[in-house]
Amino acid sequence: MPVENAAIVREALAALNGGPPVAVATVISGPEGPVEIGAKLLLRGDGSILGSFGRGPLEAAVVEAARETLQRHGIETFYFAVDGRRLTRLEAEGQRAYEVMIEPHEAPAKLLIVGGGHIGKALAEIGKLCGFHVAVIDDRPEYANRDRFPDADEVIRGRFVETLRDYPIDASTYVVCVTRGHKQDEVSLRQVVEKPARYVGMIGSRRRVSAVLQHIVEDGAPPEAVARVHTPIGLDIGAETPEEIAVAIMAEVLQVRRGGTGLPMREVKKPKRGVAPAERVPPGED
Amino acid sequence: MNDVYQELERALREGFPVVLATVAATRGSTPRRAGAKMLVRPDGSFCGTIGGGCGEAEVCTEAMATLEDGRPRLVRVDLTNPIDGDDKICGGVMDVFVERVAPDGVTAPPGPSLPEGQASA
Repeated sequence: MPVENAAIVREALAALNGGPPVAVATVISGPEGPVEIGAKLLLRGDGSILGSFGRGPLEAAVVEAARETLQRHGIETFYFAVDGRRLTRLEAEGQRAYEVMIEPHEAPAKLLIVGGGHIGKALAEIGKLCGFHVAVIDDRPEYANRDRFPDADEVIRGRFVETLRDYPIDASTYVVCVTRGHKQDEVSLRQVVEKPARYVGMIGSRRRVSAVLQHIVEDGAPPEAVARVHTPIGLDIGAETPEEIAVAIMAEVLQVRRGGTGLPMREVKKPKRGVAPAERVPPGED
Repeated sequence: MNDVYQELERALREGFPVVLATVAATRGSTPRRAGAKMLVRPDGSFCGTIGGGCGEAEVCTEAMATLEDGRPRLVRVDLTNPIDGDDKICGGVMDVFVERVAPDGVTAPPGPSLPEGQASA
């Protein structure tokens, strides 16, 4: 193993522990040549790299693919010709091609649930199932407690405004406002709408949420930030009960995170994950 | 962080080599998806799972060979063949990448090495 590989593994482990996200590319099969099987290259969010695939067009192509996996947050395998051209798996068969596994390493995404009611409770459980770091905020002690949320990573009892003002929200945070009333949703949304969350959603009927959004704009929030809010919240699956609504919300959160279409699979011309994007056909292109 | 990563961290810290097996890609129906990991220690014990059963045993054998010779391998686990008396038939194919991860400067596993000619499985 090249000496650099140990350094790459160390940095990937640091990323999983909350350090800056990185993507690690590993050559898993390929022709005899300057780039060995098992060679690794690490790409950081700022574009800098550790390790080398020869500094040529192959390396540039791998770096580009690694950048894509950082955005899609999932492991993928790519095929490249020796000159760096990206190939489909079928094209790669029967020619000198490199197979490169690229895996992003990052701390778990955070699901910040504002409101510990029925939907918040179901959402906390689903969020844990999906591998999120789950935090729940409520101002009522009978809702913000460990008995009610045994699996949540954080249960915070406090006033919505102050708690959200101080809570760290970054580009891997998904905020869901599901408090007991639109007043609480509004003050909560006002605190988070200008922060760099990856997703902000708020529950409510179409009429009620448009009034809330209008108040927030009138209060001075930038209209483009307010327009990013997912409200009414969730994907349209006809959800009725709090648990079903939590499923619809989680589906939307995952759709944003993974970049899905939200369409039924049978209407989507996209093979499963783990297939190189070069083999994917965008929806509508048969 | 899960067990595999914690164990990987410990191996790098304490200075012993381990073998990391990662499901790189799957086709058809497989027990685990791409990204699933298993870590094999020099004594043959392991943590994490890439799906259990025959495929895992096959990968474990390759892992011990990789530990010995340091050469990474791509192991194709074919689950399309039915096995008598086993209802865990998945019907897919997994590509599992098997690599040795060793701290800087560690080139050979501790303990007695296999006699010449028996090193590879």
